[in-house]
Amino acid sequence: MYSKILSGTLHGVEGRLITVEADVSDGLPVFNMVGFLASEVREASERVRTALKNSGYLLPPKRVTVNLSPADVRKEGSVFDLPISIALLAAYGYLPSESLKDILLIGELSLNGDILGVRGVLPIVDYARKQNIKTLILPYDNRKEASVIPGMEIYGAKSLKQVVDHFLCNHMMEAEKMSEDKEDNCSFSMDFSDVKGQKILKRATEIAVSGMHNILYLGPPGAGKSMIAKRIPTIMPSLSYEESIEITKIYSVNGMLDPEEGLIKRRPFRMPHHSITAQALIGGGKVPKPGEISLAHHGVLFLDEFLEFQKNIIEMMRQPLEDGKITISRLQGSYTFPCEFMLVAAMNPCPCGYYPDLSRCHCTRPQIERYLKKISEPMLDRMDMNVSVHKMKYDELYGDHKEESSLKVKERVLAAQAVQKKRLAPFGIRFNSQIPSNLLEEVCYLGSEERNLRKEIFENYQLSARGSAKVLKVARTIADLDHSEPVKCNHIWEALTYRMSDFYQGGGVE
Amino acid sequence: MNAEDFYWYWLNNIEGIGRRTICRLLERFLTPEEIYHAGEREITDVLQHKKMVTAFVRSKEEKKIIDGLQALQERKVTFIHPDSVQYPERLRTIPDMPYGLYLKGTLPNQQQKAVAIIGARSCTRYGKEMARFFGKELAKQGVAIISGLARGIDGMAHEGALEAEGYTLGVLGSGIDQVYPFENQSLFLRMEQVGGILSESNIGVPPTAGLFPQRNRLIAGCADGILVVEAMEKSGTFITVDQGLDQGKDIFALPGRIIDPKCAGCNRLIKLGAHMVTEVDDILEILKIERKNPPEKSQIERSKEKIEKLSLAPLEKMVYSCLQIEPIYLDDIISELRIAPQEVCMALNKLVLRGVVTETARNYYAIKL
Repeated sequence: MYSKILSGTLHGVEGRLITVEADVSDGLPVFNMVGFLASEVREASERVRTALKNSGYLLPPKRVTVNLSPADVRKEGSVFDLPISIALLAAYGYLPSESLKDILLIGELSLNGDILGVRGVLPIVDYARKQNIKTLILPYDNRKEASVIPGMEIYGAKSLKQVVDHFLCNHMMEAEKMSEDKEDNCSFSMDFSDVKGQKILKRATEIAVSGMHNILYLGPPGAGKSMIAKRIPTIMPSLSYEESIEITKIYSVNGMLDPEEGLIKRRPFRMPHHSITAQALIGGGKVPKPGEISLAHHGVLFLDEFLEFQKNIIEMMRQPLEDGKITISRLQGSYTFPCEFMLVAAMNPCPCGYYPDLSRCHCTRPQIERYLKKISEPMLDRMDMNVSVHKMKYDELYGDHKEESSLKVKERVLAAQAVQKKRLAPFGIRFNSQIPSNLLEEVCYLGSEERNLRKEIFENYQLSARGSAKVLKVARTIADLDHSEPVKCNHIWEALTYRMSDFYQGGGVE
Repeated sequence: MNAEDFYWYWLNNIEGIGRRTICRLLERFLTPEEIYHAGEREITDVLQHKKMVTAFVRSKEEKKIIDGLQALQERKVTFIHPDSVQYPERLRTIPDMPYGLYLKGTLPNQQQKAVAIIGARSCTRYGKEMARFFGKELAKQGVAIISGLARGIDGMAHEGALEAEGYTLGVLGSGIDQVYPFENQSLFLRMEQVGGILSESNIGVPPTAGLFPQRNRLIAGCADGILVVEAMEKSGTFITVDQGLDQGKDIFALPGRIIDPKCAGCNRLIKLGAHMVTEVDDILEILKIERKNPPEKSQIERSKEKIEKLSLAPLEKMVYSCLQIEPIYLDDIISELRIAPQEVCMALNKLVLRGVVTETARNYYAIKL
């Protein structure tokens, strides 16, 4: 007898449908599996047979053929155990074939018939929805993650027997309820108000977040660079549903989801150590998996000790930083992962770390310049802002000034981003940092006074065209924070404080 | 090239034979030519060590000596010895006088008064600005500025003199083709053109620690007075000062804050009797130099006037008043003024563009003199 059932697999962070067919016929007893299978899928035959036996279903010796189609897509992973076993049971006549129609199954089996959680469920569920498949049976551990997609009938199964009973209508499982928005899900344990003093650092960070500008912190060890970076997600706008889905998919593919947590509601903050490899940062592997830049999608990628990272690895980020996505090509095809993130880098201002505190720093000018030159120019081009961080004084640390909470800052950021979105929507971009140079004039509405100032700055600070464009972009964001439609002189003046242009000179003349 | 050059060059470039030995040889044989032609036995009497004698005999390679002199000529280096007309009279009187000098550019006029401006390599911005100020003002009065072309105070003193288009001499420990420290490269080039670079070491000798005390003795020797701008309690600067004292030179020092370790050396010098300097005339008076022009307003007064002329907005004035000659971090200004960061940034950048404030490092600001 013949039967078929639906299942799914992953391609990058997207799902694909796979049809599992099983046929049982007379002849020499063999168990044949075909359909461009990876070895872990091939091994499913042993798991399935044993799990079926231990669940109490006897399979008489027959000629069994299992096909996973389409045949030209390589099948990987362990999600096919459950669909194969159900298709087999149907082919042996234990289950009515009609009941399997339009139901998608995924899950790994253990030898005793338990269903184990798998990674990458969300992209498959999302894809199933697009293909108009409404009913899914998947591992109990993955039920939360799957039930974030609305309008689906999701069943979380713990064992093979449960699934069979469901199909036989002996004992129907209960469909998972769509996971509700839990407010506490998106709250943070940290707050901007934890950072005392550091006014300029906070201001710069607020601007950077508002325009999604990449920012570089310069400062001695222990000045609070990481502290503020970790709090950046708390002042970013809450994730939209679509953004959440995108992020959750990436985490799902990497198997990094908490079984009890459905959708990811917090902006990701990724802080890889500087010993990271290229594959781990960019994404990769034989079957490419998303790397840190994708895990930071819609969030913050913080690279502490920026200069300690291997230079070639940092350089690899150049193109994804521009495109907001990374395409990795392998023998089996190319995989595209999204990676729109805000890059926050932190480094010391000199080899010893204390410049310009001359009581502690004895680095010479050439030493400092050599140190700073370790960042390549193209990489520096992708940073929009640069600010110094200084160790706080006692009064600031333990004084009783009230610091602003993340919520307040977030409100301002939200307003500034809303303005940007509206203005930039016709150009297909969302943030000021993405404005191409040919559009800059158009969206800044410079008056004659501002034009004169730009000229004066251009000449006095010896800015390049790019340097000048960056100052203007940042000024655009400052104006947005100031609720000003045209960019005014005072916005340009402030933007100048965070300029990147003379970075290699240590940001100053002496 | 004359015969004297040949013999003196040879005498100065024998391996293992230093000034003291040369002095002994000269006492016995009077001229380098005599030494060159002296018999081995006589030489052995003076040199005593067998190694030295061997080196001595081996060094008499005419071709090598002439090649050496020619190499100097090719690089436009003048070799000066006690029989040269150019030999600075001031150096004849110092104990342990040099027997060979290498020069690029020119030496100061023998009648011209000279002041050495010295101090620490790691110095404050105030120290640098003062070195530059005194270098410039003294050079304007026709004083030759002598220093060591090192980092920090030395380099700035030369810069000041060059700004005033005065004469300045840099004295090196290493060979004068060795640009050390490298950041002073442009200074080296400019000084060759309009001033001079002098060394007791032949070209090619790399900078080693042992050479610097000798150099300091020449700095002191070339000058009539020594001005110490900034020095810690323990500093190489005091080698120059001690040498200067041995040579009977006037010592001047800038006073500093008593709690600042970078000023401790200067303050101690003043306590021990150095002339305290608060204006250029303090030096001119003691060295009996006549002013060429009436005293100008001090740099600080001038920058004050400049500020007044600019008619700054109240906010800019407030920000300016927070600044000092030593760089201050932006956040400290913000918290002192209790004004929004954006306002302070704006005021600061305006001041920078107007040329009264300078950003010394990212987000660190100081008054520009």
